[in-house]
Amino acid sequence: MTACTRKFKLYTLIKHTTYSAIVIIFLILVRSTMLASGQTSTAQISGNVSSSTGESLPGVSLVLGDLNLGTITDIEGNFRLDHIPEGNYELQASCMGFESFQKNVQVSLHEQIKLNIVLQEKTYSINDVVVSGKSATRRVIEQAYQVSSVSAKDMFNSTADAKAVMNRISGVRIQEDGGLGSNIDFTLNGFSGDQVKFFMDGIPMDNFGSSLGLGDLPVNMIEQVDVYKGVVPVWLGTDALGGAVNIITNRKNDYLDASYSIGSFNTHRASLNGAYTNPETGFTVRGNFFYNYSDNNYDVLAEIVENNTIVDTAEVERFHDRYRSGTIKLETGYINKKYADNLLLGIMASANDKEVQHGATMHTVYGGIMRNSQSLIPTLRYSKKNLLADGLDVSLYSALNFSESQVIDTLRGVRYNWLGERTISETSDGQVSNNGEFFRTFTTLNEEEFTSQLNAGYALSTRSSLAFNYAFNYFHRKAFDTENPDNIDNRFPKSMTKQVLGLAYKFDPNPKWSMTLFGKLFFLKAKTSKEFDFALETQRTEAIENSQQNWGYGFASTYFVLPQLQLKTSYEHTSRMPMPLEIFGNGLFVDANPDLGPEQSDNFNIGTEYRLNLNQQHRLAIGSSFVYREADDLIYTVVTVSSPKTHYDNLNKTRVLGVEGNFQYNWKELFHLGANVTFQDITDQAELIYNESYTGTGWQKNFHHGFRLPNKPYFFGNANAGLTLHELKQPGSSLSLNYFFNFVEQYFLTWAEMGSTNDKYVIPRQISHDMEVGYSFQNGKYNLSAECRNIFDTRLYDKYYLQKPGRSFSIKLRYTI
Amino acid sequence: MKRFKNIKLIALFAVLFGGSLLLNSCGDNDNPVDEYTGDDAYVLSLAYQGTDGNFTYYSVQFEDVMSGKLSALGQGFDQLGYFTYNQIGDKIYSTGGMGTNNIIGLEKDANGNLQEIGGVSSFDNSLNDVVETEGNKLLSVEMSSTSDVVTLHIIDPETVTINSSNSTAVSNLTDLTGTSFSGMVQSGNYVFVSFYISDPATYATNHTDVAQVAVFSYPELEFVKVIEDTRTGPIGGFGTNSGLTKDESGNVYALSHSNPANGYSQFTNDAGILRINSGDTEFDENYLFDFDAVTDGKTTAHLVYLGNGKVFAEMNMQDRSEQATWSDSPLKPAVLDLQNKTINYIEDVPEHAGLGRKLAASALYDGTSIYLCVPEDVSIYVYKIDPSNYTATKGAEVEANFVAGFFKL
Repeated sequence: MTACTRKFKLYTLIKHTTYSAIVIIFLILVRSTMLASGQTSTAQISGNVSSSTGESLPGVSLVLGDLNLGTITDIEGNFRLDHIPEGNYELQASCMGFESFQKNVQVSLHEQIKLNIVLQEKTYSINDVVVSGKSATRRVIEQAYQVSSVSAKDMFNSTADAKAVMNRISGVRIQEDGGLGSNIDFTLNGFSGDQVKFFMDGIPMDNFGSSLGLGDLPVNMIEQVDVYKGVVPVWLGTDALGGAVNIITNRKNDYLDASYSIGSFNTHRASLNGAYTNPETGFTVRGNFFYNYSDNNYDVLAEIVENNTIVDTAEVERFHDRYRSGTIKLETGYINKKYADNLLLGIMASANDKEVQHGATMHTVYGGIMRNSQSLIPTLRYSKKNLLADGLDVSLYSALNFSESQVIDTLRGVRYNWLGERTISETSDGQVSNNGEFFRTFTTLNEEEFTSQLNAGYALSTRSSLAFNYAFNYFHRKAFDTENPDNIDNRFPKSMTKQVLGLAYKFDPNPKWSMTLFGKLFFLKAKTSKEFDFALETQRTEAIENSQQNWGYGFASTYFVLPQLQLKTSYEHTSRMPMPLEIFGNGLFVDANPDLGPEQSDNFNIGTEYRLNLNQQHRLAIGSSFVYREADDLIYTVVTVSSPKTHYDNLNKTRVLGVEGNFQYNWKELFHLGANVTFQDITDQAELIYNESYTGTGWQKNFHHGFRLPNKPYFFGNANAGLTLHELKQPGSSLSLNYFFNFVEQYFLTWAEMGSTNDKYVIPRQISHDMEVGYSFQNGKYNLSAECRNIFDTRLYDKYYLQKPGRSFSIKLRYTI
Repeated sequence: MKRFKNIKLIALFAVLFGGSLLLNSCGDNDNPVDEYTGDDAYVLSLAYQGTDGNFTYYSVQFEDVMSGKLSALGQGFDQLGYFTYNQIGDKIYSTGGMGTNNIIGLEKDANGNLQEIGGVSSFDNSLNDVVETEGNKLLSVEMSSTSDVVTLHIIDPETVTINSSNSTAVSNLTDLTGTSFSGMVQSGNYVFVSFYISDPATYATNHTDVAQVAVFSYPELEFVKVIEDTRTGPIGGFGTNSGLTKDESGNVYALSHSNPANGYSQFTNDAGILRINSGDTEFDENYLFDFDAVTDGKTTAHLVYLGNGKVFAEMNMQDRSEQATWSDSPLKPAVLDLQNKTINYIEDVPEHAGLGRKLAASALYDGTSIYLCVPEDVSIYVYKIDPSNYTATKGAEVEANFVAGFFKL
């Protein structure tokens, strides 16, 4: 029996309205079916809400007239109302941007009614303007939060990864060290590192291990990426300082997507994604698999050192930069059961290994240093509408994470130069040095993590709802270095328990206006043991711990001035709790600071978006937003010149003033043109700095007060244009041509205001162009695409002149059903 | 009418969209200051610490260091990373870098501006110090507590490329791990390198009962032997490179302080200055500058040779037993007479915190006066010291986090 015939079986059609609704273009479809079960004492109404274009609608309020019984649809658009007494009721469904829906429902005892509701987009008759259907990303964008949501769908035929999807979002800048598998710094409105938190399907992925990095996740396993700027909704319970990113993986019930690409620098990327759901039993299996490989042997312009002297500068091929990563993600369980809407157990297994070609700058060349990491992540997902009480929707996402990573630098006395020439460092009497290339080590880091997100939502009425979040995170890390077993830092494992409580109240005073108020509580408990008074007679080891709490609050509001003109504003005061290293130090060079508090920030956004659809032919979306960030008590490394020791303190202050704009135009399904641009002025606002030996008091004027922070791009943008020709030669085929343009204004590695500008410390303006051509036939079942990145072979760098790949070519084959 | 309204809206968005382009135009800062480029310029290598913990150094020329404010705002030759500076002849040599161990020469070009010279050399470990040899070459050393090799280099001062190098296993110097560099001089046929033992992980100094200096042949740079003396503790300390000082006749003075303020976790022997007579490769058993006798137990980690047996010192005014570790303070400048074994403090200079770096680089002795940068409260000031009459005058305010080099080109 094929998937198709199953779908059209009686009863099952109801569950698969996503498919059936595509056929229904107009107004409301109500399909009710009686199930002769009679097992419940009261009646039940359940079903699904979708748009006229067939997309399931989350967050739709449903109220059963006189009973004051209500619920909201889940992310899949499903709902259920239980314990309904016999009678005749009016069922109302409402959602912003859609016509509200009413229907009389006759309920008899024990009856189970299935309803599939199709909401019609609001059609305002303002001349020739028609509001277009809303995609999943559009609905996220229309939240009151300042969020950029990108669907990966358009990129499924390209060799892009999660990183490439995000790099096309305004305010986001991804800085890479090199090619596939290189280190990535994600910056969102100037915040980076621990200040921005990452999630995969709502589960925190900060400690997932380097094999599940943004450059590893292939675009085909991603449905969409939501980037929350500055203000983070409570359901992603976290202590982010500058925003959060949620990567949503494919969640279709029945599909298969297989692809393979091959490209320059011996780069191979394979991905296999699929799901199967038995419509009768609700049993489902979902899987993702991907594998990445690259030799990264692209040419770079590098200094050739022989006998400690730079003898030449030449174009050379990277020789020790191979990267491999692979992941398998499986999830299985039941959907749409009485006890659970979703009950899914999953496991992710992931591994990578990487050759390290150079140090922090390209001046230091390595030929033997390796890194690797393995992670095993079991997951549990449970969600249920109307649990215990009607209108109470609960979800629980939990994950365990066991990861192990290694840094290996075990070559003895070996030195490489950029020509790949190996020399042995020998003393005059012939002894070979035992020194590693950087620092001889074979360090294994073992990390364990348990993370859990409990979310509950309760619809108070059609216009108001409460959301509650409790997030729990336990993290433990220990390290061991076989080459240096006495390393003091490694003797003391560190652990941390973090809990976040959040409560949000959302109310919609009228269909045009939505308002959310929220508060969050953060708790942190960090533990380690530490050695005191080293080298003294009183030397001892003691367990120490540190507990802290803090809170955050904010609001998000949106208002539709016109159906096609949306205004939104949001504000959050939030904190990033300190990490164990920052509190405890490492018992060595980094001293403890038990008084270290969280980093704090005030984030304010105001944005507006205008969307126009003329004659269903011209679609235009144009948006602009202003961001303001004031980050205080930023954790700063206090350096003392007279000592090798440091500690962390809350000293830094920065301010971000930014403007972002985005523009998208589509003409029929034929042509599209888009662009976004970001300008952000990130300035140092600290008045004083502290350094024990600079002055008698330790305090000193911050000479960079008011200056723009170096080494951060401040003006960048990208644009794309594409042409898609349908029904070319054969029905169901299409030919597409896409062009991408990337721009980063020159920026400085040092403070621009100081010195007489040494050219060495300027990252020049960078412009690059990419092209893609794709051909699909049999309605997208078979796809073939070819792309060229960095067409003009421009020398590109993000950090300290670390060169990224030059021109590269790739082809990709993709098969879907 | 409605349509017109829409056009207006589109126009509004276009303005907002373009606004970010306009904002950019006011982002760049172009206000270079006219830097002094004349003769006899004072060159200060000013260090600024960034919010990310990275340092940037600006070598700036000034005509006058006794008035006004000295800053790298809009002027100076910038170098990103961690650098140390030494003037040898008419050039400044900066060593260090960002993730690299380079030596880069700076000199004045025809217009008087600072420019880089010669080739750049890159080393496995950071160069601990650069000193001038009697043949006007550069002598440099790589010694790290985590390395099992000590390497000496003779470098051409013009091309800044290596003339010759020689490596020795650390095991020739000591059986202990954690050899830490503290000073180097070349005198006649020998290179003397002082070191102390500091645990590479904890920085604990568990071996403080002997002074040790490694002797190498010059110009071959071959290891000869290690000489020892138990009258004092180890020679030199963390970061100050003042372990060994040479006078005009080629006598080498070895300073022992074992002071917790400069990297010692304990001290077990007396503090003092030993001497290796010119041409010898042993300590002079008849010479000892005993700090207990001369300075009442006050010690110093910083020496700059002035001439006629006199050295400029930054004396630590606290007893070793009361020292805060790694503090390099409180300091007070003084002139020591190594022959007559006397001390004269410069009372005009207030007690201050030290940098823990090489004083011969961060202070300037121009033959008559010493220019010393003294941090007070929240600012740093230049003091001009007359070592002949032990007086000082306060000069310009330095607007930098610290002064890494004070030179005259």
